[in-house]
Amino acid sequence: MNAVVIHDPTLRDGQHAVRHQLGVDALRGYAAAADAAGVPVVEVGHGNGLGASSLQVGRAAVPDDLMLSTVREALQHSRMAVFLLPGWGTSDDLRRALRHGADVVRVGVHCTEGSLAERHLGFLAEQGAEAHCVLMMSHMASPAELAENAARVVGYGARAVGIMDSAGHFLPDDVGERIGAIRAAVDVPVIFHGHNNLGMAVANSVAAAQAGAGIIDGCARGFGAGAGNTQLEVLVPVLERTGFHTGIDLYALLDAAEFAEHKLMPAPPVTGSLSIVSGLAGVFSGFKHQVLEQARRAGVDPRDVFFELGRRQAIAGQEDMIGDVVAELSAREAVA
Amino acid sequence: MSVTDDRAVGTAPAASVAVIGTGAIGQDLVSKIRRSAVLECALVAGRDPESAGLRRAAGLGCPTSAEGIDAILAAPRPFDVVFDATNARAHAEHWRLLRSYDTLLIDLTPSKIGQMVVPTVTGVHAPPEGNVSLISCGGQASIPVAHALADRFDVRYFEVVSTVASGVAGRATRLNLDEYVATTQQALTAFTGVGATKAILNISPAAPPAAFRTTVHALAPAADAETVRAVVAEAAERVREFAPGYRVLACDVRGELIVVSLEVDADSEVLPAYAGNLDIIDAAAVLVAEQHAARLAPAAQQGVSR
Repeated sequence: MNAVVIHDPTLRDGQHAVRHQLGVDALRGYAAAADAAGVPVVEVGHGNGLGASSLQVGRAAVPDDLMLSTVREALQHSRMAVFLLPGWGTSDDLRRALRHGADVVRVGVHCTEGSLAERHLGFLAEQGAEAHCVLMMSHMASPAELAENAARVVGYGARAVGIMDSAGHFLPDDVGERIGAIRAAVDVPVIFHGHNNLGMAVANSVAAAQAGAGIIDGCARGFGAGAGNTQLEVLVPVLERTGFHTGIDLYALLDAAEFAEHKLMPAPPVTGSLSIVSGLAGVFSGFKHQVLEQARRAGVDPRDVFFELGRRQAIAGQEDMIGDVVAELSAREAVA
Repeated sequence: MSVTDDRAVGTAPAASVAVIGTGAIGQDLVSKIRRSAVLECALVAGRDPESAGLRRAAGLGCPTSAEGIDAILAAPRPFDVVFDATNARAHAEHWRLLRSYDTLLIDLTPSKIGQMVVPTVTGVHAPPEGNVSLISCGGQASIPVAHALADRFDVRYFEVVSTVASGVAGRATRLNLDEYVATTQQALTAFTGVGATKAILNISPAAPPAAFRTTVHALAPAADAETVRAVVAEAAERVREFAPGYRVLACDVRGELIVVSLEVDADSEVLPAYAGNLDIIDAAAVLVAEQHAARLAPAAQQGVSR
């Protein structure tokens, strides 16, 4: 039986669904529950990672230092991971996270911009930390470009590399092809991180494992922006049935998911109309709250906003483009 | 005060200028120097004799060298002005080597070493220490507006989010994101008096590339939308005196939140229109050099008020 490592960003990526408002009790309780289930890696932070609390994407309820110390104390066996977007967080944030006992650091870059990770992967290598690199919005690049960027960041020191389907745009064959291309280009474990906009997150994750991905991400109840991420407690048993060993205790995992449903989120994510549109448009689901709010204010159709953002190739972090698009659509309607 | 009042165009003999660094910033500087009546491009120094930047400079008739800073140091007479378009770490070394020279060093890296200049806010006079920092592209785009807002309203927090097209974010920019963030935040605080600031940089690979944009978020109680728009429009008008592609895309006030989106198109012979990030910082740097040239020229000293 092949083994895969399950990486759980519930307490980081899930933050997008609740405008980065997870409190200390929620962080502590879920971390302890995931730890009890034997989830190997638990990631925590603001939705955009270290140092990213901002008006642009939302201010976190809890500062980074407190998030990290809370989760660290709650983990007995699981390793703690953090996330960093270069240009948002800095090496100072990394230094602080390592002092808090972060075991794994994921550096995220837009899928064609591997060279943005050079500085921070180099810094982490100097510190002897386990650094991973994830290529975000990966539907915006060809398999060959993804493989090229993956090889580049491994050259900078990434000990694992992979792709995020940040817009939930992929179908299983797309994923298999891309994981295969990356596998052929690097000799470190390959990561897949799915989103569920088109209802394909679990199927895509299985395709990734079958194509040789060694690290698969999943969030309890799919906690994440819009339609959510790959649902962890579905992913694990499905992987086991498909022939991939995770080492996770099913009942304890189901308990952790119950905790998440009742303590982390107002309601589990559903594949709502706008999430389907953002998946088709290829736009990061995390834009949903702001698109809805601004479209409503201006009286334009939020679906049009998502398709227009897709046409302009908005990448994660460019939330300030929403206002431009809404204003332009609003002006167009006034003329028509 | 107009930033261009004391440009002594045509009245001074040209000051000798060297550019170190041959990426897009260096190439645009060379072109802007050639447009200036008071600056003479006396050397372009890089490290790779085959680089496109050096070849292009040579093609324009500028003396070139692949010996980098050594070529600057070996010049028979110190250059009046040296533009540093390398990277933040290299700049620290260049300053160490050049500080005893009678040369004004104008820094286009986010090293935070020199006296920070934002033309419409500080004027363009070179400080006696001989090192001028142009902060960052996001700093040049945002600070004129942030400064004007802080002047008028009780701003508690500034956040500046810039997006640069991937094709004009060179290796130095990519390696210096930490310095970009720290330097931009520090300059925002220095020029607005607002302690809580945050700077964010996105690099976008969109094709065709989108123009350089900067969004300024400010938290200020009791700011009325009409006054905000007037203050922002006036600040932008002044920046356009030296960076004509600078414009306000949107200006929105919701409760305590002010959001101003700015875009800069490049006004350059060598840069594509979307490279406004490079254009605005280069245009500001050349203004500083021109002002310095005017001070150096005895003839200009009578003609220029100061």
